[in-house]
Amino acid sequence: MKTIALNTQQAPPISVPLRFFSAAPLFLLLAALILLSGAGNPFADMRSPALLAATHCITLGFIAMIMLGAMQQILPVVIVSPMPASRLTAWLTFLPLISGALLLPAGFMLGKPVLLNLAWPLLGLAFITFIIASLISLARSPAYNATKTALLLSILALSGAIALGMLLAHGYANGSQLPYAKLSASHIMLSLGGWVLLLIIGVSYQVVPMFQLTPSYPEWLGIGLTPAIFIVLALNLLSVLFEFRPQWVVIAGQSMFWFLAGCFAVATLILQNKRRRRVADATLSFFRMGMMALLCAALFALATLIFPAIDRFVTLSAIFFMLGFAMSLINGMLYKIVPFLVWFHLYRGGVKRGVPNMKEIIPEHWMWRHLWLHRCTMLAALFAPWWNAAAWLVSLGLLLQGMLLGYALITAISVYRGTLKRLGENLL
Amino acid sequence: MCANLTHELDVRGLQPPEPFELIIGALQTLPAGACLHVHIHREPYPLYEVLLDGGYDWQTTELEDGSFSIRISYNP
Repeated sequence: MKTIALNTQQAPPISVPLRFFSAAPLFLLLAALILLSGAGNPFADMRSPALLAATHCITLGFIAMIMLGAMQQILPVVIVSPMPASRLTAWLTFLPLISGALLLPAGFMLGKPVLLNLAWPLLGLAFITFIIASLISLARSPAYNATKTALLLSILALSGAIALGMLLAHGYANGSQLPYAKLSASHIMLSLGGWVLLLIIGVSYQVVPMFQLTPSYPEWLGIGLTPAIFIVLALNLLSVLFEFRPQWVVIAGQSMFWFLAGCFAVATLILQNKRRRRVADATLSFFRMGMMALLCAALFALATLIFPAIDRFVTLSAIFFMLGFAMSLINGMLYKIVPFLVWFHLYRGGVKRGVPNMKEIIPEHWMWRHLWLHRCTMLAALFAPWWNAAAWLVSLGLLLQGMLLGYALITAISVYRGTLKRLGENLL
Repeated sequence: MCANLTHELDVRGLQPPEPFELIIGALQTLPAGACLHVHIHREPYPLYEVLLDGGYDWQTTELEDGSFSIRISYNP
């Protein structure tokens, strides 16, 4: 599969993605504080208010915040089509997302329906704005490649996930009679298995060969993988919503999904093993860790199918998917993209002296520290559902990671602002 | 397009954003009237934007092996 040449001529102002990126670490801190404040072990019960609140802090405030910000940067680059009215779209996405991502976990934690009733329309506004803007961008794009297909499918999955999420939050707030277990399972499936996984796969098709100097993904994989995942996801969704029997159909569907997700992880690890330059790179190590965590998430999910009585394997699979897979990749991408964006935007307007070296924008030893901290967090996560001390360590790890990532991003923004000031230019 | 002086820079196989950094570094020390001839494994679109803003001219040729040859000169 050929990697397309990146085009940054239609990229939005640097303030658009940085606004989303710099808000995200705050939600890691918040998630950690929620987990630490709960009585007992929040990882022991998937339905505990603390775990529900912390999970939404991470999925909405961290993962979605960064993915929505990154998409506004990525769309013009990989499909040559910017978001319509990029500044307005960014504000209409950012403000309701940050408000909703604060109100929803607060509603879960405090058990206040009014907070949930405020949260779901705000989150709906943020995501519906984003979905409409993305679909317009995709429709206008002249590109035709595997990344575009993956982005489209991930947006479709996000639409379903958001509709179900709004329905669930409204239902919880107003005490409506709804099939909560089925709807929650479908919401998780579409948001993590659909939106997050498909988007990461689509973006990886471009960034892994480009940034890590690996061969391209095989063409058959690029063409077939994301549609196959989407179809399996749709069938699994139907089997959950309409309670298909016999049970082996459900097991086959779930196994197929994790097999396909595992194919992506294995293909990426093989490509990384064939990279042209074998130099140590923290962002690459974050990616490798993410792929290994995806394989672990698959193993834990399959273990749940074999040992349905041990429901804590489900928790482990979710933790390894969200923290191990999605968060690792997001960290890796941020540490690669943010210094480049700062550096590139400092050179807009011409080649000039006085712009710092790219390695000075976020010091590399901070990235390695973050990687080791993340590895330790995931090691503790292996035992978190059973051992209270490990659960406490996971929370502490998230807290420190939020601080470290926040510090790194603030450093990058300070370098940008300081350099512009020194060069006597206006802030963009 | 430029005086006899041509500086060569081969950034093939380097991990992004190293090629971009090296090219910008070379342009900053390029003597007046000289050309920079870059050999790179991928067409560097972000660079073009910086070159355009900085008043540079460039000519890109795709080579048979899929790499690119770019000749850059300052044209204020």
